[in-house]
Amino acid sequence: MPTNPDYYVTLGVARNATQEEIKQAYYEAAQRLHPDKNKAAGETEIFLEIQQAYETLSNPKRRKKYDATLPPEEEPSLPVKYEIYYSRPNLVRLNEPQILYVLLEIIPQQKSEEIPAPPLNVSLVLDRSTSMKDEKMDIVKNAAIKVMRNLRSQDIFSVVTFSDRAEVLIPASYSFDKSKLEARIRMLQSGGATEIYQGMQAAYDEIQRNASHERVNHIILLTDGHTYGDEQQCLKLAERAARQGIGISAMGIGKEWNDVFLDTLANRTGGSSRYISRAEDIQRFLVEKFDTLARILADDVVLDFKETTGVELAYAFRTQPETGPLPMEGDIHLGPVLQDSTLSVLFEFRIDPSLTKGDMIQVLRGSLKLTIAALPTPIQPVRIEFSREVKEEADTTIPPSALIIRALGKLTLYRMQEKAHMEVDQGQFELAAHHMKQLATSLLSQGERDLARTALIEAENIEKSQAFSEEGSKEIKYGTRALIMPQEKKEELV
Amino acid sequence: MIICPNCTHENLDGTVFCSDCGTQLTSINPIVTQNISEEQITRDLKRTSVFPKDLDAWAAIHLTNSGQILPLSDREEFTLGRISDAQPIMPDIDLTPYQAYACGVSRLHAVLRKEESQVYVMDLGSSNGTYLNGVRLKPNDSQALNHGDILSLGKLKIQILLKNP
Repeated sequence: MPTNPDYYVTLGVARNATQEEIKQAYYEAAQRLHPDKNKAAGETEIFLEIQQAYETLSNPKRRKKYDATLPPEEEPSLPVKYEIYYSRPNLVRLNEPQILYVLLEIIPQQKSEEIPAPPLNVSLVLDRSTSMKDEKMDIVKNAAIKVMRNLRSQDIFSVVTFSDRAEVLIPASYSFDKSKLEARIRMLQSGGATEIYQGMQAAYDEIQRNASHERVNHIILLTDGHTYGDEQQCLKLAERAARQGIGISAMGIGKEWNDVFLDTLANRTGGSSRYISRAEDIQRFLVEKFDTLARILADDVVLDFKETTGVELAYAFRTQPETGPLPMEGDIHLGPVLQDSTLSVLFEFRIDPSLTKGDMIQVLRGSLKLTIAALPTPIQPVRIEFSREVKEEADTTIPPSALIIRALGKLTLYRMQEKAHMEVDQGQFELAAHHMKQLATSLLSQGERDLARTALIEAENIEKSQAFSEEGSKEIKYGTRALIMPQEKKEELV
Repeated sequence: MIICPNCTHENLDGTVFCSDCGTQLTSINPIVTQNISEEQITRDLKRTSVFPKDLDAWAAIHLTNSGQILPLSDREEFTLGRISDAQPIMPDIDLTPYQAYACGVSRLHAVLRKEESQVYVMDLGSSNGTYLNGVRLKPNDSQALNHGDILSLGKLKIQILLKNP
């Protein structure tokens, strides 16, 4: 602990924060960290620090005195910068709602190459339920061994297996004696039901023992089945993990798992979920995931914002580096910035006509909180604001940024299948089938013949049996999601 | 509201891609009028014109607007024009289906003739004239044609494709 703690950093506010902002930050922190409420060890200590910070900063006199003792604020030489792109140059005075898209890009800076790759603190959670038996289990074992062999000496690794209960196969440790650990993985036997919460809780405990800001703390869940009744517990755990900077990623094998649940679980923490249709791909995806984790620059970027009355955040989606939908309320965990890849998030706002009476609309106001694993000192939150002028007429002389159009274009197909899913849930089967056919047409026009065919088959399934097939639904969901990202890399190569 | 030109779905103002069918509603480049010179079109047409393979004819007429090809075979001479009621002499090739009337094609407008290996065009005193590559022809005066030449009968453009250019 430094002798003179930076209270502004403790509270997570800027040095020029208003009294109101300081108060707000304190209330928010107190609500989750108060000794009556907090759960994790160490949270009481954090709460006391925050209280001390608040007592000083909430009093203008004390704050002034304290400010004088602070070293001058260093030029914020952030290892990342951000850019905002809007879908239109201005909003229009209308008496009906209108849409504004905003693309937020958080870009690693050149000099970030000097920042070393952070050490990992990763827990692998393996489903060993009966359905994983034989070949699948063997592939998973081999994949786990492979990633363990790739670990560097500074990485901490643990393996948890679960069925209806969890076992810690390899406790969190530096893996010095890899052959001994390998033998333990090889002994793994399948059997039992799938209870994801058991596994997640055990992994969370393992991660927490070594969790620190200097590491990339991450849980990777591999499962092939539905979990029953413990979804809420899992999501609560994910929220707790997110607050402590622990990410969760999920990989679903085959067609039986619950993609909506795993998506939600992962996106609470800024993580991502993936669909593995063929068991042979498990190893490749797992190695890729570890590779991504080892290239992290900013572990988890959190967008903390207050909604403006009359502005509704209708959609949020990460288009890069790992594509996936984001939750739309509270502090949004946007995900990581990689050392060589921009973090791009697309927002859709729905703006109420009542707002367009003014000349300027503040669409979103908040701050970006970053944790750079390799930097010892926490970084002050960066203020961020989306706003647009309101004019009588749409300005058509300035074309929208090609970047945002491209991102939206790719996202459109994914959203069409999402819409069809929603319609099936609401019992509008005809409409859902219609949209799947529209999707098939769009896919065909982009040369995605296989996906288009799957979409047509699903349209038929909806017409006949009023439901998606498990497999087809995942093919299309993750297929259209995959179109969003890797395509761009291909384009660059051409 | 923006109404999708493809599926007529109503989208909120500001939408970029139709939420029903995925059609792009806003273009990246603002719409501007482009001037395309006639010369440019003629040049492009000449470059790309090819006599259709396996077509059994000594020449063919390419209707540049519709892309249709009319073969000229069996005889050595074809009159071009349009058929209308109570007309004593009929043209060999009736251009009525290709908007001949609107384009100002006369009933007997011009004639195409093959003499040995050379093909000629002659205006038959038409009201709106015949143009060879943009140059008006004197009536009743034969002009030799090359492969890819553009003839305008009034405003109707046809391209001459020769089997042995």
